[in-house]
Amino acid sequence: MINNFFKLVLSEFQLMLKGSVFSFVLYCLLMISCAIFALSLKHQSVGINAQLSFLYIMIFFISLFKVEKIYGQDFNEAKIHQYLLSPFSLEIIVFVKNMMIYFNLIIFFIIFSPLILIILNIDLIYLLKINILLALSLLSIIFISSMTASITISKSNKLSLTSILTLPLFVPILIFSMAITDLIDFNTGKMYLFFIAYFLLNLAFSPLLTSFALKKLSA
Amino acid sequence: MIEVNNLSFARGNTLIYKNINFKIHPGELLLIQGANGVGKTTLLSNIVNFIDPLEGSITYNNLVIDNYIASQFFLYVGETNFAHDSLTLNQNIEYWLSIHNVKFNNSIKDKSVKYFFEELNLDKKFYQLSYGQKKKLQLLLLMLVNKPVWILDDPLNGLDDRTIINLNNLFEKKLENKGIIILSSHQNISLNNYKTLQLT
Repeated sequence: MINNFFKLVLSEFQLMLKGSVFSFVLYCLLMISCAIFALSLKHQSVGINAQLSFLYIMIFFISLFKVEKIYGQDFNEAKIHQYLLSPFSLEIIVFVKNMMIYFNLIIFFIIFSPLILIILNIDLIYLLKINILLALSLLSIIFISSMTASITISKSNKLSLTSILTLPLFVPILIFSMAITDLIDFNTGKMYLFFIAYFLLNLAFSPLLTSFALKKLSA
Repeated sequence: MIEVNNLSFARGNTLIYKNINFKIHPGELLLIQGANGVGKTTLLSNIVNFIDPLEGSITYNNLVIDNYIASQFFLYVGETNFAHDSLTLNQNIEYWLSIHNVKFNNSIKDKSVKYFFEELNLDKKFYQLSYGQKKKLQLLLLMLVNKPVWILDDPLNGLDDRTIINLNNLFEKKLENKGIIILSSHQNISLNNYKTLQLT
């Protein structure tokens, strides 16, 4: 069972690599939008907050698009039927998929981040801190997005609208991220703990709700 | 033994079928037939516990079929394909075997591929296959995953004559080994002894 679990992780990793082109396109679009945003602010002196808020909102959308696409492809009816008959629970499969999406997005962000910070006119001394902040918050963003995606891909259009209900779950991440950037040099270790706590909370209920939605709404 | 008692199913306000009863013992095959839309696929989904019935019960060896029972004893091959388009055939086989927690064995895999395909380049991407080849790849699971009950939704659709003969031989072997097969099809199968359920 353990061997096959690692095989499953490896297979998911292969699938993740195949989907990297889409992530690359999304990050290219992010850089274009960052350039337009930076140009629109070129005559105004604003703090780091405006650029980081913009970056966060864009990353939030990238995550939503990516998760929606992967879930649309990998959780069609036929695949869900096979997952349901697997000795691995659907929750575990959802968890592995979410983690792979996370690694895919965060690796691309780490690669692109110096360029993005330069385009947004953010000092590169913040590079590591922004990467850590995003790496921590992206975990929760992906797990919440998976709930949104699992409801959106349901057969019933009426139920798809209920995916909007998951959007308020993103708000604490945005609030705390901006609160951290308000502090001088992002220097407060305890604030980062919020993201870990919020991720653990999401880890507890998100795979359960996602797999429940996939099971019930795709039936 | 699979036992279905007074099974009814409704989608919204529409009753799809009512009071279905049957028993299938090890070594028996049940062929579900009927016109389009009478609920053949729905009945199979009910048996595998993908959807809950309106009324009635389905048991396997006197145990009510839940997610655990279904995942331990049932293998389902539906009409639509479950393989990943972007993966090669080899990667797809490995992926789905790991999902079904089957230890990967290259010689068994090669024999199974040869049984259905004669010759096939396993480094091809899944989307490069024809409809019939895709269907055959799905049916490979029957040879590679060892579960006592097979639930098959229209397995003969899109297959050539040679593969249909091979599949019938496979059914015979499964029944000899006291397996249970429930399948829906518009075509008759060339086995001597099987039960039929006609849905109207």
